[in-house]
Formats: sequence, C-alpha cells, structure tokens
Amino acid sequence: MPDILVVKSLEKYFGHLLVVSQLSFEVRQGEILGVLGPNGAGKTTMFNLITGTLKADGGSIIFNGVDITRESPARRCRQGIGRTYQIPRPFENMTVYENLLVGAVHGAGMREKHAAPFAMEVLELIRLLPEKDKLAGGLCLLDRKRLELGRALATQPRLLLIDEVAGGLTENEVEMLLKVVKEIQHRGVSIVWIEHILMMLSEGVDRLLVLDGGRRLQCGDPRHVMNSQDVMECYLGSEED
Amino acid sequence: MGVLTAALGTVPLWGSDYLVLFFFLFCLYLTVAQMWNLLAGYSGLISLGQQVFLGIGGYSVAVMGNYYGLNVLLSILAGGFFSVLLALFMSLFIFRMKGVYFSIGTWIFAEILMIWFSNWSFVKYGTGLFIKTNPPLSTNETFYIAFVLGVGSVALVYFIMRSRLGLGLMAMRDNEDVSETMGVQVFRYKLYCFLIAAFITGMAAGVFYIFQVFVQPYKAFSIDWTVKLVFIVIIGGIGTIEGPIVGALILVFLSQVLADYFSVSLLILGAIAIAVILLAPKGIMGTLQAKLGFEILSPRRK
Repeated sequence: MPDILVVKSLEKYFGHLLVVSQLSFEVRQGEILGVLGPNGAGKTTMFNLITGTLKADGGSIIFNGVDITRESPARRCRQGIGRTYQIPRPFENMTVYENLLVGAVHGAGMREKHAAPFAMEVLELIRLLPEKDKLAGGLCLLDRKRLELGRALATQPRLLLIDEVAGGLTENEVEMLLKVVKEIQHRGVSIVWIEHILMMLSEGVDRLLVLDGGRRLQCGDPRHVMNSQDVMECYLGSEED
Repeated sequence: MGVLTAALGTVPLWGSDYLVLFFFLFCLYLTVAQMWNLLAGYSGLISLGQQVFLGIGGYSVAVMGNYYGLNVLLSILAGGFFSVLLALFMSLFIFRMKGVYFSIGTWIFAEILMIWFSNWSFVKYGTGLFIKTNPPLSTNETFYIAFVLGVGSVALVYFIMRSRLGLGLMAMRDNEDVSETMGVQVFRYKLYCFLIAAFITGMAAGVFYIFQVFVQPYKAFSIDWTVKLVFIVIIGGIGTIEGPIVGALILVFLSQVLADYFSVSLLILGAIAIAVILLAPKGIMGTLQAKLGFEILSPRRK
C-alpha cells in the first residue's frame, strides 16, 4: 500500500522568518508517527500546513496519492485528514453531541439522520455519554480533550493529527486518553502525534520524527533516533557548551 | 408562539388603525433584522451596507410599478431578485475582505448607489419617485404582506438552523477556523447567507416603501437603516432566533413613543443600547436563555 501522507520539501515563512524549511517525510499506512522537538521547532505549524489552515510557501503535500497542497481546509478534512488542537477548541455554545454532529455531517459528509447513531457511538468511545447535552464551553479540561479527540474521530479520518493530548492532565487521565487513541489506531487510522518526549518512548510509536528550527533532524526507529548525536545535542546541549 | 402568531395575524380584525400600523412596522423591522442576524449572528458577516438592498427593493417597486405597470406582488419579488443580483456582484469584491474590511466594503457599496441614484435621471435624481402600485393596496393588504414576510423570515431562519447549513453556521459562529478544519465549507455558506439575506431584505424594502408611497436616495440608501438593525439585534440578542422579535418590538415601540421628541430620541435609543450591552451583553433573549436554559425556537439537536 502507498504511504498515506507524503510531505516533500515543505517551506513556510512568517514574514522573513523561515519556520519550516525543506521538510520532507512520509507517514505509512496504519502507523503512529511520533513528532518531537523543542518549543518553536515548527511542529504545530507543520500541522497547520497539512490541514490547510496555513498555505505552504513551497513544497507539496500528497495525501493518499493526491496532491492537496492547494486544497481548502474543508476539502482536506472531507478527504480524510482530522486533527486535534493542543489547547482544545470546542464549539463552546453547542452541546457535546452537536460538536460531534458537526464533524460527522460536515467532515464525514453524512446525512444528519445517519450521523446521529454514529455520534452516539463516538460519545461512548470517548466516554462522554453522560455529558451529551452539556454545552461544550462548560466542560473541564479532561472532557474537553476527550471531545477534541471525539470530534476529530467523527470526521472519519484516515489520518489523524494529534497535537499534545497529554498536556496539563494527571497520569490517570492520560491513561484514559491513551486508551482512546489506541482504539482509534485499531480502527485502521494512521496517526501523526506531537507529544512529550517520555510519553513517546513509553507508548511505543512506530517511528519518530524530530524537528528543530523547522528542519528535520532525524526520522526513523525511535531507539535509533533518540540515541543519535544531533538529537542528544538538541535536547541536552553539546559537550563543548 | 402559535397563539402570538395568530394574534398578530388578526390585528386588522380587532385592532385600531394605529395598531395595524404599529404591527406592520414591527413585521418589516423584524424581517430585515432577522436577516441581519443571520449574517452577523451566525455567519460572522457584519454588514454595514444592508441599506443597499433596502434602497434597491424600494426603487424596484417604484420603477416596476410606475414605468412598467407590473403587478405589485411581482414588483416586490423583483426587488428581491435585483437585490440578489447586486449581492452576487458585490460578493466578487467584498468576499475577498475579512472582518472590518468586509463591513466597510458593504457600506461603500451603499454609498456608491446613493450617489449613483441621486445623479440618475431615470429615477428622477435626488427628488425620488412616488410609488403607484398596480393594483392599489389597502392598508390591511399591505399589512398582510408584511405579516407573511415577518413570520416567514422567522420560520426561514428556524428551518435553516435545523438543517445541515445551520449546523455549519452555528459551528462558524463559535469558531470559524476550527469549523473549516472540521469540514464546514465556510466560504460557500457565507455566500448563501448573504444572498438569502439580500433576497428577503429587498422584498421587505418594497413593502415598506409601498407604505411610505415615496422613495428617495438619501433616505433609502442611508446608514440609518443599518443602525436600527444593529440596535434591534444587539438589544434582542445576537445569534438567537427570538432576539430580533423582541428587539423589533422595542424599537418600533420606542420610535412611536419618542416620535414627538425626535432630537432626543436617538440619545435615548443610544442610552438604552449602552445599558443593555453593559448589563446583558448577550441581549435580552440571549441573557434570558443563558439564565433559564430555555429556548422557544430551539435549533438544538437532542
């Protein structure tokens, strides 16, 4: 099977500042690709480029064999790219259930009649069934993070971009969310996952991509990547310092 | 709700002429404000140029009735049709603009048309046109056309909100960028709303100017129109279906009560608007809904 996502020499400037530079990598069908990098390495910008929220200044993005570099964010979502935000951004004046409906009706293109049972299924998966008719703006952080995953899942993605699902939560809460992510992977969804360094090692991602200053530092087997000289330097500083 | 609608629909049977006039104005302001609410409250399009469609609607009934002897109902429909054409043309330019630039862009179009119409011999320059309808309408007949538009506009927005389009619009209202990443076709939906609002606003304007008997560019294309719409929607509750109903009732009531004190009436309207924004930023209906958790025309999914 071909790679689900191929990114080729992607470039993005903010004014004169080069934030993503000649970035190339691929995501294989069904794998979890972990993404690491210090603050400002361009991780979230990379997500914004893949979903189309930001327009690339150079390079191309091939999703499932189709060049989507010029497509609108809405079309990319319909083609199967879902995402979560690091700081959850639910539709605050809509209920939890309605949030999921938006994903199912607009993202997955379902009719509302068919979307309703599907949304209930997602509610169960993210364990938010009791909060179904609550306004999303009134949820606590854990529930917001669950909804973030659920809403992305409701768009029926083939590729899910997860931006730091674990930040700000206790260990038990993180456990709970990880179970949900695992279930999503079992459904055959490929995942690109920005997360804290220790989590990556413990959660057994298939491959690791390390970014620094908008460039690709390393990409490959997690153990190999973490022991490489430049990644060590990036995180711990070089010996001469 | 049904009882209120029935009461409103039978005003000519039990009310005085003054009441008929009062509720006639209420229905028209409700219609136009409901459309502004669809734009500003749901689609994130703050149009300061809705008067452009009021002007077009007014001139359509005048020109179609006077010059071509077209049936009055068709003339009103033509007002809606010309408004949609103009809205399509405007969208080529203003839909490239975002936020406040969009607002100013719409306003500029209204000003351009005001200048154009006041220099156009076909519509008798700034003097304006008297409106002769074919056939002539009684006050009650005019009232019923306004009634249909008023009730129709509320029903229309309600059905839009219950539809796929409405689900997307509510998501856009809460967060436009995120809604687009969730597959909502933001650009297309905004355009739909802009065209729908132009159509209904253009028709309501025709009815209003039939009642006024006279249409003149400096009044028809005046920003005063939009100021009233903003007042109605903000006071009533932006982004709620019931808000414009309450807002329109308050505006028409106040402008009747204050009609004798024209110079201070704007001051009083302004003071009320400021008070409501400070005390209840979501407007009267928005605040009531938040407090009581209860909506009469609820677009909620269960």
